[in-house]
Amino acid sequence: MIAPHTPEKTFLVRIQRQDGESQPAYWQEFEVPVKPAQNIISVLQYIAANPVTTSGEQVEPVVWDSGCLEEVCGACTMVVDGQVRQSCSCLANEQLAKTGKDHIELTPMTKFPVVRDLFVDRQRMFDNLKKIKGWVPIDGTHDLGPGPTETPEQQEERYAYSRCMTCGCCLEACPQFTKDNEFIGAQAIAQALYFNQHETGKKLKSERLDELSGPGGVADCGNAQNCVKVCPKEIPLTQAIAKVGRQLTVHAVKSFFSSK
Amino acid sequence: MSTANPPKKSPATPLCSLLEKNHFILRRLHSLSGIVPIGLFVCMHLFTNAQMIWGQDSTTGEGTFQHEVDFIHSMPALFIIEWSLWGAIAFHAGLGFWYTFTGKHNVKRYSYADNLRYMLQRITGVIALVFIFLHVATLRWRWDLFGWFTPFYGEGYQAPGVPHAFHDVPMSLPLTAYALQISWLVVLFYLVGVTASVYHWCNGLWTAAISWGLTITTASMKRWGFVCAGLFVALMSFFAASMIGALKFDLGQDMSADQIEVFELIVPESRIPLDVSNRP
Ligand code: SF4
Ligand code: SF4
Ligand code: FES
Repeated sequence: MIAPHTPEKTFLVRIQRQDGESQPAYWQEFEVPVKPAQNIISVLQYIAANPVTTSGEQVEPVVWDSGCLEEVCGACTMVVDGQVRQSCSCLANEQLAKTGKDHIELTPMTKFPVVRDLFVDRQRMFDNLKKIKGWVPIDGTHDLGPGPTETPEQQEERYAYSRCMTCGCCLEACPQFTKDNEFIGAQAIAQALYFNQHETGKKLKSERLDELSGPGGVADCGNAQNCVKVCPKEIPLTQAIAKVGRQLTVHAVKSFFSSK
Repeated sequence: MSTANPPKKSPATPLCSLLEKNHFILRRLHSLSGIVPIGLFVCMHLFTNAQMIWGQDSTTGEGTFQHEVDFIHSMPALFIIEWSLWGAIAFHAGLGFWYTFTGKHNVKRYSYADNLRYMLQRITGVIALVFIFLHVATLRWRWDLFGWFTPFYGEGYQAPGVPHAFHDVPMSLPLTAYALQISWLVVLFYLVGVTASVYHWCNGLWTAAISWGLTITTASMKRWGFVCAGLFVALMSFFAASMIGALKFDLGQDMSADQIEVFELIVPESRIPLDVSNRP
């Protein structure tokens, strides 16, 4: 007996495409069959295998970026239905149910240059980590002996900051971070605090604070507090900003009286 | 990979480089200039005005509000205080505008209450600036704008052409009341302007505590938020008291005989008829 033919249930995916940073953006729409527990990456994989738009046009496959597929690398971050998030941890069915629409809209993050389609270049974040010297200075070939110990409370606080995956959600949602200004953003501020609180990392504290008091530093934060709400790793970013603010206040008073 | 173009540097005009070199200190001074000179003055001013609610003695024209006004006018070097306030406002507003245009609000996409607060802070700043200017221009500098306001004279001697005998006649309450009773538009203007200014100050206090690193935990930010909200309510009730005081003041019944005479000299064609029929 032949099973009665049930038409496959489908949904639409609207994607904002762009061939490069200075190229014009354009929209394309694809029809994708509904599968259980399908995330946006598998939707994109389906489209890559069947790059035909709803108007029947054969197009270049959509480009995106991804890595871990378990929300720890940050590479797949994009804007799904207007909200920035990791696409690997976004299930299509849940997203459709959440918005109540028959389509999902994918756009690249707007605060970074587009490499192609949904793939952006987050280099500015890594450059910012260099600016704030986001490391512990233990270079050398000789044995330095055991490092200083940390209290469990310190560990617990620092653990939260250590979870940052440089995904860029906080910057995407920040009204003060734009493509044409220099604001360093919540991610780098929280990382500066993370290393300032490390017993050995402290050695670079005043250099970090000098960097953070310059143009584009912490003072450019406008306290909109969007960053903390969109951070997928639930990093207490506004506390980090306030704590660095306090370190800067103390640093400024100290350097007023003691710097040469 | 590194195809990213570094963000474009702003052109290196002398002003830009001055701002860049002192970036941190300017930001902190911006915060301080809003809170201390301007904010504290506005608190005091609102408190003084709230005294209007107590009215005045309709035989002598004496009242708490007049007493407070006289106190302010008797302060030594008042013009220095006034000009430093203008200095603080110019500095705060100038930098504020500059900073506002470094951001790009996105409330439509991220409609969190805090994000709205962020946008409101910028909008209320502009409203407050326009309001303060118009308020001072009309009631202090006696500019005749829109035909809305009477020129404000604290006491008879300040108005030109008032005979010597009336020099000490207190005019603060009647003239303020007249200025507000002229039109509901004036009342609306004050309502919007004062609400915006008070909001701007209270929200500024809240964010300053984060920027300066006073409230460094989410819980303390919340607690401080309640304090700031309390201040907002307190200041707005001072404002409500002054409004009620000015609006319920009956120009015909509550003025002393002297005040009526001076009033008629200052405002020859009163737009509010003075009903003096059944005065005691
Ligand atoms: S608090 Fe607001 S302005 Fe500051 S970094 Fe976070 S989102 Fe940006
Ligand atoms: S702080 Fe959070 S949102 Fe920002 S880059 Fe790190 S993980 Fe992403
Ligand atoms: S692929 Fe690594 S976070 Fe999504």
